[in-house]
Amino acid sequence: MEIYLPIAGISINFFLIIGIGGLVGFLSGLFGVGGGFLLTPLMMMIGIPPAVAAASDSNQIVAAASSGAFAHWRLGNVDFKMGIIILVGGITGGTIGVQLVKVLRAAGNFEFVMKVVYVLMLGLVGGAMFAESWRTIRRSKSGAAAAGEEIGGAKLGQLFAKLPLKMHFHRSGLHTSAIFPFSIGTTVGIMAALLGVGGGFIMVPAMIYIIGMPTIVAIGTDLFQIVLTSANVTLQQAFVNKTVDLLLALILLAGSTIGAQFGALAGKRLKGEQIRILLAVIVLALTVKLFFDLILQPADLVSLAPAKGGGH
Amino acid sequence: MRKVLALAVVLGLAAIFASPALAFTPEAQQKVITAASKNLIEIGLSYRGDEIHFFGVNPVPGSDLIIRLTAEKSEEVKLSVKGRVGPFWMTVKQYDVTGAPFMYKIHSTKPLDQIISPALAEELELGYKAVRSKMKMRLARGEAAPDDGEKVFNGLIKIKEKANLYNIVEDPKRLEITEGRLFKHYFRFPAAATEGRYQVESFSFRNGELIGYGKDLIEIKKVGLEHWLTRISQDHPVFFGIMAVLIAVGAGLLVGMIFRKGGHH
Repeated sequence: MEIYLPIAGISINFFLIIGIGGLVGFLSGLFGVGGGFLLTPLMMMIGIPPAVAAASDSNQIVAAASSGAFAHWRLGNVDFKMGIIILVGGITGGTIGVQLVKVLRAAGNFEFVMKVVYVLMLGLVGGAMFAESWRTIRRSKSGAAAAGEEIGGAKLGQLFAKLPLKMHFHRSGLHTSAIFPFSIGTTVGIMAALLGVGGGFIMVPAMIYIIGMPTIVAIGTDLFQIVLTSANVTLQQAFVNKTVDLLLALILLAGSTIGAQFGALAGKRLKGEQIRILLAVIVLALTVKLFFDLILQPADLVSLAPAKGGGH
Repeated sequence: MRKVLALAVVLGLAAIFASPALAFTPEAQQKVITAASKNLIEIGLSYRGDEIHFFGVNPVPGSDLIIRLTAEKSEEVKLSVKGRVGPFWMTVKQYDVTGAPFMYKIHSTKPLDQIISPALAEELELGYKAVRSKMKMRLARGEAAPDDGEKVFNGLIKIKEKANLYNIVEDPKRLEITEGRLFKHYFRFPAAATEGRYQVESFSFRNGELIGYGKDLIEIKKVGLEHWLTRISQDHPVFFGIMAVLIAVGAGLLVGMIFRKGGHH
């Protein structure tokens, strides 16, 4: 069954999109992370123009994160003060990011920069995750006590906490500087626009290990800021680049919602380290694929640069 | 004085009539009567391209036929040329290309060069060579190289052929003619053929000279949800953006309610 995506301007198999949405949803249900960082590259592989893929993923993330954010808000897991500071950074970053997309598209190197950032980010995250879960598995076998990088993160946290603009964060029980939360918000905001990711896989560890927030508050606050950061990116992409394909986003949402339910079920049968090492392998495999895209000679040296507006 | 003027006018007219340019004006030829299975293609939700069948009567039995499909609008495209930078392949220069048709397909009963002379092909804009000479390219970024013209043109043809927007089929099997007179064939419009007006022109040749001409107009337009989403997103981006976000939030909350647990992101 083919479906015509109005903004992407292509006709594509409906079940292929819902299947990819389902796969990413399954993985995000299994691993408890957002799937944005997998979704954009997969969309590109099936022929969705990169800019449309990133913008529509942002739109899909708004939907996927909003139900979780709402649930955490009702449970009181959102530190609004912290969330708003990160959000101010996220909106600043997102706005910069969308303009960056515009400039890069005009110059014909959006896809290149996107892939470079992906390779760096996924390589780093995948590598760190792999190393960490590998150590945990080794340690649990040898029975040694857990310790290590948390101390490094905490040291960094103490350093950032000493910066000016100190504030009291009641919900997180912290008295710390607002500069780091703002900066990490900006960084993740730029990445959200460039890559179509929510950024939870960077934001949550940063909140827990560096800022020192309680885990559950970190997750709730992260979801809160993701909804609004992604909403901002979606709006800006719609205004500036006109690349949001709402139809694509809704089909992805349907797939990922169903997939996430199965993922969560499967997650209960696997151990934490096993799950993480599996995710690390997937992320590293994707990194290698994207890296080869960058260094192997492309089949076609001449390609169409996007016209004004539209997805092509 | 008046006589001289009249003479000049007569000579001028004679010169115009004698000039080969006018002799080839397609409209001045005998009419090739044609009919299309439809003249309107609607892009709906399940659109994946379409096929239109054409029928026609060759004015002189046994003459050769060349049929050309083109988009009415010619495209302004920017083409990126990739090159090696260190270990990476990235865009190193860009060309603004104008004058190339968005879509260009030809069906003919024989190879074009066996039907018409290169000069006539050029004049009637039949064949890739003619497309090439009408196309204009301007370097937008980077450094030009002597073989860029060839490279960019071939690159464009490759992109277009891959998308099934360009092709040339010189095969009598593809363009059937019954008893030299009644011909039929079809053009495939891929999903990538966007909204706009297209024309299908039938040229009839005898001994390398144009003897008949006919034209059909085809329109492609988006309808329903596709039309609405495209129009809103391009013409009212602010409204579209807000709508996209609100629908996403609504859908997310709805899904959360259905599954109750719903908390992944």
